[in-house]
Amino acid sequence: MNVHRLWYLTLKNFKTMVRDKAQLAWLLGYPLIFVLLYRFAFEEGVFALMAPAILIAGPTILIMQLSTHFAEEKEFGTLQRLVTTPASRSIILLSGLLAQLIVGIIQIVIFLALILILGAEVASYAYIFYLFLIPFLVTFSSLGFGLLLASIVKNSGSAGGIAWFIILPLQFLGGVVTNPPLLGFLPTSLAVESLRSVMTDGIVSFEIVGLRLIYLLIWGLVASLIGILFFQRKTAIL
Amino acid sequence: MELAIETNGLKKYFDDIHAVDGIDLKIPKGSLFGVLGPNGAGKTTTIRMLTTVLYPTSGDAKVLGFDIKKETNEIQKRIGVCPQDLVMYDRLTARENIHLIAQMHGMAKMDYKERTDELLGKMNLLDRADSIIKNFSGGMKRRLNVLMAVVHEPELLFFDEPTAGLDPQARRVVWDFIKDFQEKESTILLITHSMEEADDLSDELVIIDYGKIIAQGSPEELKGKLGEGDIIEFKVKATEERSEIIQRAQKLDFVKWGKSVGKHRVVLNALDGLRRISEIMDAVEVKMDDMKVRKNTLEDVFIDLTGRRLRD
Repeated sequence: MNVHRLWYLTLKNFKTMVRDKAQLAWLLGYPLIFVLLYRFAFEEGVFALMAPAILIAGPTILIMQLSTHFAEEKEFGTLQRLVTTPASRSIILLSGLLAQLIVGIIQIVIFLALILILGAEVASYAYIFYLFLIPFLVTFSSLGFGLLLASIVKNSGSAGGIAWFIILPLQFLGGVVTNPPLLGFLPTSLAVESLRSVMTDGIVSFEIVGLRLIYLLIWGLVASLIGILFFQRKTAIL
Repeated sequence: MELAIETNGLKKYFDDIHAVDGIDLKIPKGSLFGVLGPNGAGKTTTIRMLTTVLYPTSGDAKVLGFDIKKETNEIQKRIGVCPQDLVMYDRLTARENIHLIAQMHGMAKMDYKERTDELLGKMNLLDRADSIIKNFSGGMKRRLNVLMAVVHEPELLFFDEPTAGLDPQARRVVWDFIKDFQEKESTILLITHSMEEADDLSDELVIIDYGKIIAQGSPEELKGKLGEGDIIEFKVKATEERSEIIQRAQKLDFVKWGKSVGKHRVVLNALDGLRRISEIMDAVEVKMDDMKVRKNTLEDVFIDLTGRRLRD
């Protein structure tokens, strides 16, 4: 793998994202609006209880962002132009994932900071690492779903629309609006439950948190692997 | 003769559509080779196979000695592609777009920085080098599209309609640029539906129609096949009369051939046609509207072969 090509392409992806004012406003504004709405809609105690769910809702949006990014590359022919250079398809793919991962990390930090500033409580700040790790693992799964979606849609408009058919079930059935989650096996459910144990109860035991995180990691790996395979197959020379 | 491109029975089918239907090409290294044909003739599909974007349905092709099915990476290292569409990143600057392609080709930073400035200067884009290209005009983007294909000094260049939509002055700049590049011993494959472009630039060319090669040779050879006569083109009102008009014209021994083109036009090839125009007017016995007398063009070659215009 050529690290230089990967770096240049990731940088290109990141630049094109942040130079688009609408996209930048969305990337930064979405966490702000989401957290503020939750804070003003609920009392402080309820907000604190909902905080883990809010933190997990954030990374699910990456499904839309990533699928739109790759659908645009297909739609506008830039993917095809890159394919005629020595940059391999894997590097092109990985660069897109990395750029979105950076965005995901920035969003997690914003979500986390806002939640803590607006009154969410953490049982022990010794476990602050988990507050970052768990949403990050959800980000990982979201990127896999996003890639899978990008491989089947024809354009960025469809990607943006269809993404909500994945995001909303993940949020509504995965504990973002109900406690407990309706479907316990979803990555969002595993993440919300783990985060709630860490934030509210200060529990980080293997049985309650560790095992769920392993399942979450498996979700991320499987979703990303299927996404990569599908995308490579759909954009391969035919 | 060393070949840059060699294809044998190259085919690409999309279900029932035979986009490319058995193309045999032999393109010598260092030549500027034109591929002329109407829209939908299979030109772009051919380029897409040769540039490793599409996999052929059947047939073989070698680009710079490498198999397009098995040695794609070797080909990608050595080619430059200027696609028909304006394919670039709207939120990068002109300089960044060129740098990106150079970086993908593994050029050293010092080399590509210097070369980018040189190229932007040649295409009169240096003063806008650091502007985001989103607001560039179509012509500026078209010139940038060309620069992105050549920054890494490829051995073989594919230009797919490089001047589409350009004004005559900008077209001339791009043509000069392409000719300069050929002088540096690069091989150029120029795909176009502009007969003027193919005629002016190509050493040799093929004419493609419905996925097949229908003629091959230098522009002079192809035009020469039509004979030494002048082309007389005119419009008639009644379409049904045209075959009779042509028959009547061909009774004159200096009229070599005649064709109906489009809905209302007739094209005749007549030796010394300009001087004997009055004899032709008498022979056809109809009012010849919007008449033009000119020398053979590649379009006439296409009309002779297919009975259609390139843009029909």
